[in-house]
Amino acid sequence: MSSANPPSQFVLRSPAERIALRLPVRGTVFAGLLVVCLTLVSCVSLATGSYGVALSEVWETLRGVTISRAIDNVVWEFRFPRTICAALVGAMMALSGAVLQNATRNSLADPSLVGISQGAALAVVGLTVMFPELDTGLRPWIAFAGSILVAAAIRALSHTRQGGSTIRFILMGIGLSAFISSLTSILLTYGQIDRAMAALAWLAGSINAASWNDVWTLAGWTAVLFPALMLISRSMSAMRFGEAAATGLGAPVTLVRNMQLAIAVGFAAIATSVVGPLGFVGLIAPHAARRLAPAGMGLHLVLTALLGATLVGLADLVGRAAFAPTQIPAGILTSLIGVPVFVLLLMRSRHQSSH
Amino acid sequence: MTIAAVPVTVKHPVRAWSGVPILLAALAGVFLLHIAVGAKQLPIATVVDALIRFDPTIFDHVIVQNLRLPRAVLAVIVGACLSLAGALMQGVTRNPLADPGLLGLTAGAAFAVVVAHSVFGFTAMALTPWIAMAGALGAAVLVYGISLMVPGGPTPLSMTLAGAAVSAFLGTIISVIHLLNQDTFENLRVWLTGSLSGRDITLLWYVGPPMLVAIIAGVLLAPRVTALAMGDEVAQGLGVRTGPLKLQLLAVVVVLTACSVALVGPLGFIGLVIPHVVRLYVGSDYRWIVPYSALVGAAYLVSVDVIARVAIPPREISTGIITALVGAPLFVHLVRRRTR
Repeated sequence: MSSANPPSQFVLRSPAERIALRLPVRGTVFAGLLVVCLTLVSCVSLATGSYGVALSEVWETLRGVTISRAIDNVVWEFRFPRTICAALVGAMMALSGAVLQNATRNSLADPSLVGISQGAALAVVGLTVMFPELDTGLRPWIAFAGSILVAAAIRALSHTRQGGSTIRFILMGIGLSAFISSLTSILLTYGQIDRAMAALAWLAGSINAASWNDVWTLAGWTAVLFPALMLISRSMSAMRFGEAAATGLGAPVTLVRNMQLAIAVGFAAIATSVVGPLGFVGLIAPHAARRLAPAGMGLHLVLTALLGATLVGLADLVGRAAFAPTQIPAGILTSLIGVPVFVLLLMRSRHQSSH
Repeated sequence: MTIAAVPVTVKHPVRAWSGVPILLAALAGVFLLHIAVGAKQLPIATVVDALIRFDPTIFDHVIVQNLRLPRAVLAVIVGACLSLAGALMQGVTRNPLADPGLLGLTAGAAFAVVVAHSVFGFTAMALTPWIAMAGALGAAVLVYGISLMVPGGPTPLSMTLAGAAVSAFLGTIISVIHLLNQDTFENLRVWLTGSLSGRDITLLWYVGPPMLVAIIAGVLLAPRVTALAMGDEVAQGLGVRTGPLKLQLLAVVVVLTACSVALVGPLGFIGLVIPHVVRLYVGSDYRWIVPYSALVGAAYLVSVDVIARVAIPPREISTGIITALVGAPLFVHLVRRRTR
């Protein structure tokens, strides 16, 4: 079977050959490697902290053996949900960035740069400060509403009679995020101090308060959004050549465009609502994935998600281990890596003045 | 996509001169209003009285002289300096989006002050403006260097993106320093939000002289900025030596920005907003834009500070928040109008 194909890829077929999946070797190998990396980072993350647990003890605990009540508690109630949260949030932000870059056809797009994260942040801070009695389970919905409003505003504002422009989309995003951040600051200054402090801790982009509830929220939304993304991934690759070409190739352009925006906003908003704004993950992960292995849209998205998960897992681990007992929020570390990457990409962007 | 240069229109000098007395009157008006409003409302007559015939035995006069006058003076100075810096930057870079805040200068100054404060333990007030200047200069060089290396050169777009990136990076390092060093956070927290409240007016003794020199130099250089704003070739054709002129202007902008940051912390969007408003009335001649920007900017920041103080009593909003709230929509408008 595989001899009929070029050696750089192999094909998985269902028994009746109704479904065939072509997998490039290099991309698949890297995906495997990333899974190993992610597992390693997660294991170290489970074992590290102010209460030291040996790796073997972590393994025993995860298998359900109770070594001591304390270890059981630390691993199951604090570190395990935190580790899963970091991975899920990383994957979501990375995917959001990948979809946003595809939708705007601009490689510099990132949910935290164009104001989508800030929209979610404003909505959540507003909820925390003004209606603290409301259930925190509403957070993802409110964040989603905030982000989608901002995305719609940027889209509407960047459309003039000459049509839309991707550069205008990004500049508009920068302006709007300044505006939204000011509104958030007003809420923080004007609001009652205890509520403002709660919102402030969340705003730093820290994963240290993650609970099993958060894990279920993130996992639930991922279970909806990721399959939707995979469904349109084929049309997304057509959209890379421009909307006219995509129409010619038979892609439902308007539907895909709107779905892309909704999915990008959804991923960013839900991730933000749980751990706060995480900068630049959506910028780094898709680029790094493209450099690791050339791949079709589907596998590229999988690689991006795995990279994002590993990156945020690592950022969370380093953030709490490097300067212990001071914890550096993961969002700060991702920004520290992300900004130089942004500058490098900016310097290498070739067609930035022709769009 | 291109960002169109500022259109060249020149208003008649007589009309331009006629605005000056109106502006001075407006500035005096908001200045007195700024002093009069607050937790204790004072009649304008008392304010004028306190300013002209100060009597230390009258409580209201003491409020005016010791609490409210310093803050109003700061607002005038900082508003004028930042607007002037913004006007010069827009002329030199031919970038309608240029602003000391957007292009990373304020972030550089703030970063230098925080690092000097926490890492090296320099807390001496006399040094603050010089440290801020070094930081602003470093950030300016960095942003311009990055935009030079971007294919297409230093366009408004590449400069804005580079400025946003550098500001974000410096801001992140500032938060790391704060997390690791709680004392600095306590000392500099208010300063970093860009607020005019509780500032130490005595810093003006150190900041004032370089600021004054820079303001005068800016006004003197303004005629040649008009030539520069039409492009390097045109300016050279008109006999302007563009290289040295640009360096002088950079020095002026850095001093104005850094001294403002040293006084009241990073305040954004003032240098962006004011020159555009001014241009609507005086055209594109920098001989008029520069001094008008200073006057209008001073009146603007005083008015903004009045709003910041009275909008949600008894609390006070940071002035920087209000300038961003007003400035961001204008930024959006400029991007819409000038990008094709």
